[in-house]
Amino acid sequence: MSKELRFLIVDDFSTMRRIVRNLLKESGYGDADEAEDGVIALQKLRNGNFDFVVSDINMPNMNGFQLLGEIKKDDKLKHLPVLMVTAEARKEDIVMAAQQGAAGYIVKPFTKATLEDKVNNILVKVGLK
Amino acid sequence: MTDPAQHEASPGAPVDVHQQLGVLTRQLHDSLNGLGLTAKVQNWAGELPDAKSRLSYIARLTGEAAEKVLNHVDQAKAQHEFIASETHRIGQLIVKDPVAAVAKGHVMNFIEDVDGATRKVDEHLTAIMMAQDFHDLTGQVIAKVVNLAATIEEQLLQLLIQTAPPDAVVKAPSAHEPYVPALDGPVVDATGNPDVVTDQSQVDDLLASLGF
Repeated sequence: MSKELRFLIVDDFSTMRRIVRNLLKESGYGDADEAEDGVIALQKLRNGNFDFVVSDINMPNMNGFQLLGEIKKDDKLKHLPVLMVTAEARKEDIVMAAQQGAAGYIVKPFTKATLEDKVNNILVKVGLK
Repeated sequence: MTDPAQHEASPGAPVDVHQQLGVLTRQLHDSLNGLGLTAKVQNWAGELPDAKSRLSYIARLTGEAAEKVLNHVDQAKAQHEFIASETHRIGQLIVKDPVAAVAKGHVMNFIEDVDGATRKVDEHLTAIMMAQDFHDLTGQVIAKVVNLAATIEEQLLQLLIQTAPPDAVVKAPSAHEPYVPALDGPVVDATGNPDVVTDQSQVDDLLASLGF
């Protein structure tokens, strides 16, 4: 039996974390943890075995871009796909996320189909599905 | 009856009032300039329409979310009523003639109907859950409006402190600073703004153009 993929959902709004967590569960990914900002996310990523990160951008303490940067410069974490799920709709933010190594970018508000589609595509691309 | 000549000559006459108001207005203008507050007042005037636009966005989003939730609840309740009435109906058929209920396919049809109805109820529940995303989107916008209100409050208090008589007691502004999102947050009005995307397909197109 293949190992269940473990997700980390990073967002400062608990409502959004619950929504993403429930949607992932409905899509068959039931193993997920949550973090409310980049600092906590980074601690959890360094202490646990995660396979996928779904992160907001606009957060206190450490925003999503900073978290992405920290993940990509950490040899043990840089392989992790990071899907940005954010209300930031400026084109320069999308380009910056792509250049920093984000695996995908979803603008809020989004649909269940969009999240499921992006997660599946990324998992196929990185060889986890 | 009052003599008009007397009225004009009195200290409270209309002409004097106008002159005094003019002097006061000039003094206020000079004071604001002297305190460097004219630019701040201009800033507030510029930021208030932005705050109004953000509040309108919040009103629109919360209204849409409420409407969406109520619509999905209506539809889910209809499905629930269907399941309840069908369960009652099939129960009666089974009590009346269990063999016929199975043989004529009533039981199997019921199972398929309930399966379909519960699937639809689940879709409505997911849609109700998704509608709660307004909390995140409006929360970010509210944080910006709260920050604007706090800034204006702080500057008005500063103005009061600077202009108050020496013996007056004016409470100093609170040192508490709420978290304010540093980035733009949700786009409250994308009209005529080519620098932002308005839906996921534009994000996908942009990323595709970059080779992603």
